[in-house]
Amino acid sequence: MNRNIVEIIDALTAHQDSDSIRVLEELGTNSPDNDVREYTSRALVKKNVHDSLKVVIINQGKGINDLSPSVAMSTINEILALKDKGEVIRILDDTINMHSDETVKENARSVKSLLALS
Amino acid sequence: MAKIIKVAPATHTPSVANPFRTSRNSTTNPFKYSNFEGNTLQFADVFEGFEPKKVNKLKMIASSVAGSMNKIKSSITEPIAQFVGRVRSGISSAWDYAKNTNISDIGAVKAINNIMNTPIEIPAISAIGNSISGMKEKIASGIGSIGHNILGLGDDINQRWSMVVSRFNSDKISSDMSVSELEGLWKAEIAACEAGGNI
Repeated sequence: MNRNIVEIIDALTAHQDSDSIRVLEELGTNSPDNDVREYTSRALVKKNVHDSLKVVIINQGKGINDLSPSVAMSTINEILALKDKGEVIRILDDTINMHSDETVKENARSVKSLLALS
Repeated sequence: MAKIIKVAPATHTPSVANPFRTSRNSTTNPFKYSNFEGNTLQFADVFEGFEPKKVNKLKMIASSVAGSMNKIKSSITEPIAQFVGRVRSGISSAWDYAKNTNISDIGAVKAINNIMNTPIEIPAISAIGNSISGMKEKIASGIGSIGHNILGLGDDINQRWSMVVSRFNSDKISSDMSVSELEGLWKAEIAACEAGGNI
């Protein structure tokens, strides 16, 4: 992966501006490169805010719902590695209860189970 | 007809009566007994003189050797005794010459001694020495100029490197940059990767 893109993602991860999440979602999670999508999903999880976690949990084809197993597993591992898991559990519960897509609900249920076991 | 019958037993002996006899010694004329309308050929031994004679090979070889010796003898213009004597006298004279002559008196040895005792003085050598000393000065001056050039090149590289580092530090991607700037840089990287065929 391009080193400049890594630095840009790192800078956006550390950025406090909420607009950084939009940039990460638009340019990172929609990238055709698996490495970029994986690195961006982990960056969104690291931010550990509602908007960033929502991107990787409730959107079809992004984060834990990515078609690439490596991207999905990396995102799940990053979620499991969070110290503060309160916001993640809330979003997962809302997804399991309210999301219209059954696949997304099933993935959220699996991640919640992993969080309970960890 | 009766004449023939009467004559035949008297003239034809058993040894010559068989016209199919193949022995070579029996006759030399194959047409001798052929009957040409009742007449016998009159020239019975006409081929007798053409019988091949037996050749003595040993005699032929001896005659060829004798001919060769005569040829060699004719080619030698000097009697062999005189030739031997001349060689013997030549050897003895050479031996006398070697025995009675001092080695230092030989012409070639004298020439070698003269060369060895004469100091070599070639003007070209001094010219070469001068050329080498001049070359040394030229090389020294060239090395000095190269050293100056290298120092100048080093200063130039140092200045350019400092410019690159300062530019890199000023353009370093960090969270201090605004989101819009980071977004612009990212889009530029994507465009550059797509232009280069690498995403």
